[in-house]
Amino acid sequence: MTPFWAVVKRELWTVIRDRTIVISILIQFFIASFSSGLFLGMLQLYDVDTILRFSGGALRIGVVNATANQLVTFITKHGMTVIPFQTLEQAQAGFYNGEAVAIIDAPADADGITEIRIYLPESNTISSIVRMVIQEPLKEYENYLRIQKGVDIHYTDLQGEPSISFEFVYSVLLPLLMFFPAFVAGSLTIDSLTEELENNTMETLLSAPLTVVGMINAKVVSVVILAVLQFGAWLVLLKLNGIVIQNTIWIFLLALIVAGITSMSAAVGAVLLQDRERSQFIYALMLLTAIAVSNLLNASPITTLSRLAIGDYYTNGWTVIAFAIFLAGLYLLLRKISRRIMA
Amino acid sequence: MNKILVIAWREVTRIQKQFGSRASALVVLAFLAVLGLSAFALWNTLSLGNGLYQIGISGNVPPLRDSRFVVINVDVEQGKTLLEQHRIDVLIDGTQVLSRQDEKSQYAVRALKQYMEKAELERIGNTYPEANAFPLRARINYLGPEQASGQTNGDGTTSDIRPEETIIPSLTPPPLPFQQVIVALIYILPITFISIFFTSSFMDEKINRRLTILLSAPVTPFQIILGKMLPYVIFTLAAIAFIAVQTKGNVLLMLAIFLPTTLFIFAIYLMVPLFYRTFKDVTFIAMLVTTLTTAYLVFPAMFTGVTDLSYISPLTLAVKMYRGEPFGWREYLFPSLPMAAIFGFSIYAGTHLLNEEFLIGYKPISRKIGDAIYLLMSHTKLYLSVPLWSVLVIPVVYMAQIMILAFAADLPLGLTLGVTLFVSALVEETVKSVGIVMLMDHGKIRCDREILWYAFLSALGFFIGEKLLVLISLAVVLQASISSVLFGTGLLLFVPLIAHFTFTTIVTLLRAKTNLSFAAALTIGAMIHFLYNWYLLGGLQ
Repeated sequence: MTPFWAVVKRELWTVIRDRTIVISILIQFFIASFSSGLFLGMLQLYDVDTILRFSGGALRIGVVNATANQLVTFITKHGMTVIPFQTLEQAQAGFYNGEAVAIIDAPADADGITEIRIYLPESNTISSIVRMVIQEPLKEYENYLRIQKGVDIHYTDLQGEPSISFEFVYSVLLPLLMFFPAFVAGSLTIDSLTEELENNTMETLLSAPLTVVGMINAKVVSVVILAVLQFGAWLVLLKLNGIVIQNTIWIFLLALIVAGITSMSAAVGAVLLQDRERSQFIYALMLLTAIAVSNLLNASPITTLSRLAIGDYYTNGWTVIAFAIFLAGLYLLLRKISRRIMA
Repeated sequence: MNKILVIAWREVTRIQKQFGSRASALVVLAFLAVLGLSAFALWNTLSLGNGLYQIGISGNVPPLRDSRFVVINVDVEQGKTLLEQHRIDVLIDGTQVLSRQDEKSQYAVRALKQYMEKAELERIGNTYPEANAFPLRARINYLGPEQASGQTNGDGTTSDIRPEETIIPSLTPPPLPFQQVIVALIYILPITFISIFFTSSFMDEKINRRLTILLSAPVTPFQIILGKMLPYVIFTLAAIAFIAVQTKGNVLLMLAIFLPTTLFIFAIYLMVPLFYRTFKDVTFIAMLVTTLTTAYLVFPAMFTGVTDLSYISPLTLAVKMYRGEPFGWREYLFPSLPMAAIFGFSIYAGTHLLNEEFLIGYKPISRKIGDAIYLLMSHTKLYLSVPLWSVLVIPVVYMAQIMILAFAADLPLGLTLGVTLFVSALVEETVKSVGIVMLMDHGKIRCDREILWYAFLSALGFFIGEKLLVLISLAVVLQASISSVLFGTGLLLFVPLIAHFTFTTIVTLLRAKTNLSFAAALTIGAMIHFLYNWYLLGGLQ
């Protein structure tokens, strides 16, 4: 075995010996299950369409003066049940009998500003749900009144499908699971390098027939291998879970390239600063800056990944290759400055 | 006190040296620039679905300023072809919107709807007189439960519990907690960032063996820990005050809300330098701590106003403050006391673990934790420390069980309950028996009678802690009537106590009498515990 692979093997073995890599995997499972189970569930809790689809009919809205009012049409259209009442007193009696969960007292459409009164239960939970579900009918009613007054308003007939889950899975969850191992890889590179420096074991290591550049490369390769194992597993798991992912191979390559970029730039920082505290700090800042800047330059790997996954026509392998060129540049820089480590 | 200050000052000079000299000004500048830039960029791109939708535009269409949309200018015929070929998701032709029937196109339409609603409001608000542009007012009133008999006041009005609010439906979104949660989240960032420096300072001292020198000086470990922590806590509080001023919050209130949180996070980060063996351990443990504390703090706060259980996170209080809603002492103490308690426990543990022998040397992480538990317990009389341990770990068990539930929720429905029950039983049995087993391993507990006695004490401690937790959370959060129902069951209370005692005895005796490893003994004990719980649940149905 060449000295290079001996170092790679030693790095991987210490990670397995320490067992703490389990924590990293647990965190990823935590993120995945937390977001798919609880977070998405909660988003849907706040999602009007979901509420109406499952319990719209059970939401009985008492309306006073129901016959003369266009608002009733809009409420019914959204799947809620309207209970008509003659007077407010009757409606309130109905509210306390449990016939209606909320009351709307709507006078006939007026000439000037139309004023309606909404009576909600004191309970925070129910009243906020009612306010959420009647928001859309109220807005449609408002648009109807506008048109009556000759206001020219466009795009009022758009509907579509609720897009929160779709946006969350492809723009948050998938990039997070693909890139988290890469972010960890950078941190591990710093740990591995600075530990040798701070414990003064670097010189011993370099007495082996291996150059400084070779040694750093071996450390980078070993953490990238760990990252590949993790995001590769996620790619398989997500697919098994029925999440449609297009361009799998390009996504795999992109995640690999990003892991290379994070660990090599972390190595550059560690070589320059030579202690863990400052290197990790600068690395965290670099990550934040990279995310922000790449976003401003419209070249964010996160967006690229989302677009590849949904099969966007205008995003393809060439975008990935652009990141590979950046990685190659970074590698040359690392080669150039790694000699400084023994200075 | 004086010695604490001396150590604190020494810490400040150390920080100055670390980040000092010519690099410091540069680092601070770079730091501020990065922070500002990322805040700006994140603010702009925080919306879900960044860059997901391709929109074709033709004719006179208002500009789409939303990071979710990528806009292509086309003419109508070309646009229709592109739409057919799935190259764009939606085509806007003047005031007409064309889409396909598939999901992706419909998602894009919904996103467009959200955006266009706002854009159109702005346009008509600027073009038309207000009475025409916003012709609807809704007055919102709340009906109290007092008149449940169906009687209304003679004049048909209701007793106003809350003042009437008047809204314009299209301008007033229904109350949602997310935005304030994000603002409140900003407070957590400096706390986590600064506590990481606290950790690395401790590690540095450990690597350079300066901690050994410090320990041989006439100062107690308690003074060392508090002294080293003090400057960082002050930095954190200053950062919190700064954020409060910037976001126009109440500074004193914010300091009061986040002081327990700060201490809690520092308490957890204090454990990192005590337990790590290699640098990679530090990275992993720090990541775990950050993830868990963030989830613990942020997740409940998202339910602010929906359920009172959201008060387990102090972030909820901050959200309330930003919404201008009041809260009382009980709501303040409910999240703060457990955090202060964990801080106290962590300092206690830190003072007993801060010694040369424990810090240096490589051991498997499980051995290291076992040793720590032994060191903590053997310091006081065993008949006190054994039950006390069981009481003190209750909050940890409680949090662990919530996590387990989160994990298990992803499993197929039939498995969820079983897995949750089994792993919860495993966690409970572990914390109850681990102390006794460690004491046995070190020869502090020998004969069977002692094992039985301490198993009983441990079970008793756990039982009391469990009931105390239920009692406190119910009494503080919910109406007192519910807790009286739960605790008015008399004799039945002792069945779970006996059950706890039995399971703990099984685990500890198995370990003492047979060649089984602790893990194997635990699995057997947990299995029996699981079957007992399963039986109870079946009996309930």
